[in-house]
Amino acid sequence: MMRNVGIIGVGYTPIFVSKRKDVSIPEMISEAVDAGFRNTGLTPEDIDAVIFGNMQTFEGVNLPHLWAVEHIRALGKPVMRIATGGTTGMSAFHAGYYHVASGMADVVMVVTYEKHSEGDAQVGLMGIITPEVMTMLQAGIDVTGGSGMGAIGGGSAGGISFQAMSYLNHSGASIEHIDAMAAMERRNAAKNPYAHLKDPECTAEKIAETAMVSYPIRFGHICPTTDGSTVCILASEEKAAELADKVAWVWSVANCCSDATTGNLVDGMITDPAEQRPCMIAARQAYERAGIEDPKTEFDVIEIYNGFAHQTLMFLEKLGVCEVGEAHKLLEAGELEIEGRLPTNASGGVVSTNSIGTSALNRVTEAALQIMGKAEGGHQVPKDVHKALAHSWGGLMQYVAVTVLGDTPPRK
Amino acid sequence: MDGKVAIAGYNISPCSSNMVTSRERLLFDLTTGLFEELGIDRDAVDTFIIATNDFLDGRTISNVFLDPPIGAYMKDETKVEMDAVNAIAYGWMRILTGQYDTALIVSLGLCGHQISPYLHIDYTLDATYDRQLKLLNELSAAALQAGSYLGKYGYPAELLDEIAAKDLGNAALDPYQARRLDGISAEEVGKSRYLYEPLRELHCYPPTDGGCVMLLASEDRAGELTDKPVWILGMGRSIDKYYIGDRDLAVSPSTTQAAKVAYDMAGIKDPAGEVDLAEISSIFAHQEPLLAEALGLFEEGKAVDIYSSGDSAIDGRLPVNPSGGALGAHPICSTGLIRMAEAARQLRGEAEGNQVKKAGVAVAHGQDGMCAQQNAVVVLGI
Amino acid sequence: MEVSEEVFFTPTVPLDFTYNYRVGSHIGRYLEGFKEKKIMGVKCPKCGKVFVPPRMFCGPCNQKLEDFVELSQEGELRNYTVGHVNLVKGRLEDSDTPYVLGMIQLDGADSLFLTRVEGVPSDEVERGTRMKAVWKDQVEGDCADLDHFEPV
Repeated sequence: MMRNVGIIGVGYTPIFVSKRKDVSIPEMISEAVDAGFRNTGLTPEDIDAVIFGNMQTFEGVNLPHLWAVEHIRALGKPVMRIATGGTTGMSAFHAGYYHVASGMADVVMVVTYEKHSEGDAQVGLMGIITPEVMTMLQAGIDVTGGSGMGAIGGGSAGGISFQAMSYLNHSGASIEHIDAMAAMERRNAAKNPYAHLKDPECTAEKIAETAMVSYPIRFGHICPTTDGSTVCILASEEKAAELADKVAWVWSVANCCSDATTGNLVDGMITDPAEQRPCMIAARQAYERAGIEDPKTEFDVIEIYNGFAHQTLMFLEKLGVCEVGEAHKLLEAGELEIEGRLPTNASGGVVSTNSIGTSALNRVTEAALQIMGKAEGGHQVPKDVHKALAHSWGGLMQYVAVTVLGDTPPRK
Repeated sequence: MDGKVAIAGYNISPCSSNMVTSRERLLFDLTTGLFEELGIDRDAVDTFIIATNDFLDGRTISNVFLDPPIGAYMKDETKVEMDAVNAIAYGWMRILTGQYDTALIVSLGLCGHQISPYLHIDYTLDATYDRQLKLLNELSAAALQAGSYLGKYGYPAELLDEIAAKDLGNAALDPYQARRLDGISAEEVGKSRYLYEPLRELHCYPPTDGGCVMLLASEDRAGELTDKPVWILGMGRSIDKYYIGDRDLAVSPSTTQAAKVAYDMAGIKDPAGEVDLAEISSIFAHQEPLLAEALGLFEEGKAVDIYSSGDSAIDGRLPVNPSGGALGAHPICSTGLIRMAEAARQLRGEAEGNQVKKAGVAVAHGQDGMCAQQNAVVVLGI
Repeated sequence: MEVSEEVFFTPTVPLDFTYNYRVGSHIGRYLEGFKEKKIMGVKCPKCGKVFVPPRMFCGPCNQKLEDFVELSQEGELRNYTVGHVNLVKGRLEDSDTPYVLGMIQLDGADSLFLTRVEGVPSDEVERGTRMKAVWKDQVEGDCADLDHFEPV
């Protein structure tokens, strides 16, 4: 028996910045929880269950919900920890969704955070493949050869540049389009009080002046590391009617994974991290479940998890929101802008704000705020938002989670 | 509760202190073994939920390399980073929506040959205080809990020896347990070295390698997969305070709360009378009666009588940990799932040397955190 | 499937990361107190309980805590354990001599304070003994400043 589930509130830490020196981890998270209660008028007694997610190696704290239980007002409640890397925020959201949809809870709070300033981001990311690399080194395997490079390339910037190059080849886009995409999102971020890297005057030229990290990835294309926390409150239809003035309804959730060889040599061929079959599968399933027949025309707002600027364009195509080779043309025509036909990452995206545990949840909360008409600072799109799509990816580019939201309940 | 969800099958690894395997191979073996037994392949699984821990696996996003070995390639998958009973709760909820018919829950903990087997709890500590002070660790905290519990009722420390001897004796009969000390007596347990008083080595769980997989199915699907479905009748989860100085360490309010929700759902009004057996994740000897009291299965203050009379033995009135429990093996993240699987074995009458006589309703329990800060309780029935 | 141990390669991969934690407002205040050899707790306005070390929330009341109070340097030993091992980076090592960890209820506080206990043989420790704080000579606002407690 599947119940309707609606998002009735969102809470952010007041700022998303490089270093929060004034608060400890649980104190920082408590700010977002406070905001969630403030924005909805709810109290801790209203919450039946809590879902908690973040990427733990970045802070070196295991099961942080145990330390933070009092700070997130969850004493005595069912608390579920979800940790799936980059998709964590949305995976946690999906867990919250199933708590309510199944009837096992009526009001659920999803809590996510990351405090990157307390650890070393590269260490956190390298930790995905450190055992493999260390094993190969100890076994005397030449890590500069095919499979070794593939493994190392799987980490962060290496594999990502394969992905970006492949995307440019398939789509006919150029590096200048990636520059322009990054610039647009940094301009959008300037209109979002909860974004990190803001530049109201950002241009493709300014981005093009930043250092080349690994062609075609420039420094200006890359997400920051941010300290911040995001909270999202979900409710059943009955509770939403009782507790909320505006609701963003969850029409469907879906996810898919492949394996960690993307970017590696398999049978003498590099598997293509731009192929993103899990994205296509997850999107198709989400659209089926939501009754979306034409993703090219039905969405009013899109939020894409873009740790790297080319990914906004690439995923627009992989999600079926436009044809392959069309995303950069939509960008050129201004259609992806806040005032455009298909506003994409009005929030500034992950490329502007990245406290990893929150990054995937922020795609959902930002889409929800657009539906509810509650996006602050000037990044609310100037039209009615009936349907929105939120996307996320994670791991060695092999996890994708997708959420479809609407302004009415999905089932009668 | 609308609709029923059953355990259609499970596979427990033979646990050991030093398993010669890789994480991927272990899960591949467990999963393919279960699929073979049920006559299915990975197409029959609608969603995969992994329960492993990044710190124990020594890698970020510990599920990254585990998806293909469990059959999740190009399929729906997620990770609950807790004891796997919580992953069961998630799979259960997904099936209850009707959107999924089957869920494969997969877990492992390779803690036996870890360089630092006790780091798991260390990293859960308040990083700004307890971790800096270095007084609190998993063992010192458990010892304080043991001291508090024994002191509450004036139990002698030798009670811990009785509890451990019973569990380790049961473990010796169980094919999946790692620590199997056949014929061990309470006196011999009492000679093992002190770690933190009153806890001796044999009162504490052994760092273990092991894993467990379990397939949940909707009512219709369960009937197609097995002729002995074990039903999830109730499920509850709760959590206690973090600050150890604030907690009354002699009780477990979160276990009581979780049990209440589970019993209410299962329609159980008198647990001590209606439950036939319990598999409890007591990773230290004193936690067995402490948690059994919190579950409403033991009368408070009666532990000495209960153990000396054999009430909780395999042939006792209410067998507790007939498998030997976590003192026999504690592959962290799998321990609670193994308790569920052992309970299911009992309910299906397949527990051989550990089989209890009356097995219609069972309680299984899993924990997370220092001194069992967080607890999950499942009621199962055949 | 049996795999012989000789052909199974088991690499050891020691991972050692450094983290820098912000103590935040409440532990920050607590450590400020240490500079003056003061033990600061925090009081819940709803239930009236006093907690040490201070933290931002009272769990049962879901109440933010902002009322700092100075606690007595003395209290009663309520619980203890004698350690025969040390855990060093998660590894078990024997301790040369047994040592005592105690949980003390400082006068004025409701929560118990974990500390080392010295000045009494480890096999003669008794619950209920009155204990007092012993500080390092030089204090710097570090949690190691409060060295141990001993019988009054």
